[in-house]
Amino acid sequence: MSDGFTILDRLISAAGFRHRVISSNIANVDTPGYKARDVKFDQILGSEMRLSVTSPRHLGGNELGSKSELTAEEAQSWVDQNTVELDMEVSKMTENSMLYQAGVSMLATKFSMFKAALKE
Amino acid sequence: MDSFGVFRVSASALAAQRQRMNVIASNMANAHSTKTAEGGPYRRKDVVFSAEPENSGVDGLEGVKVSDVVADTTPPKMIYDPGHPDADKNGFVAMPNVNVIEEMVNMMMASRAYEASISAFDMSKANLMKTLDILKA
Repeated sequence: MSDGFTILDRLISAAGFRHRVISSNIANVDTPGYKARDVKFDQILGSEMRLSVTSPRHLGGNELGSKSELTAEEAQSWVDQNTVELDMEVSKMTENSMLYQAGVSMLATKFSMFKAALKE
Repeated sequence: MDSFGVFRVSASALAAQRQRMNVIASNMANAHSTKTAEGGPYRRKDVVFSAEPENSGVDGLEGVKVSDVVADTTPPKMIYDPGHPDADKNGFVAMPNVNVIEEMVNMMMASRAYEASISAFDMSKANLMKTLDILKA
């Protein structure tokens, strides 16, 4: 029952963390030598989001290792050794923000479902 | 976890880019200044940005700050103008090493980076407001 909360909590935390990392990239778009960073979602969510498997044909049984949370992006670097690509960062941030808000909406819906159940 | 650190990061970028724009505006304003307090023509200035981790970097946050404002060391442009009060004995005047076109390009880059940080700020705010909406659920 409470598993849904745990998963959504993880999703929101991970999306929030990635949002902070992307914000830092955007803030340092002109800092010489700054290396753009990103969060690999599969790696963080891997252990939490893995679905329980009762049949080998089920999805989600694969092991997603959690090697490192923060990775330096491999991108071409500018003359000043900075690897931030502003357009990419903005689009990633938009995408991540949608995911974050989707997670929050789902959590809110879950809460209202519980509330409705309690009222009956 | 610090929910508001992300706002400080975006704000640090806004402040840094604003300072950069101030320096660029000074360069353009002094593109023809042949006298300065330290003597000689005006020298073009540039800002140096450096990354600054927030909360010792545990939240993945890195702000930015202007660590230094440095003078450009390229030699001044020599222009032949014998009637100028600052002309040397051969009639050449040392003009500032400011290229107005280059400054305009830098100004536009600073402006775009500023706008990007405002967008990031807005998005952080939207996320946080959405999170607060859970209370209404």
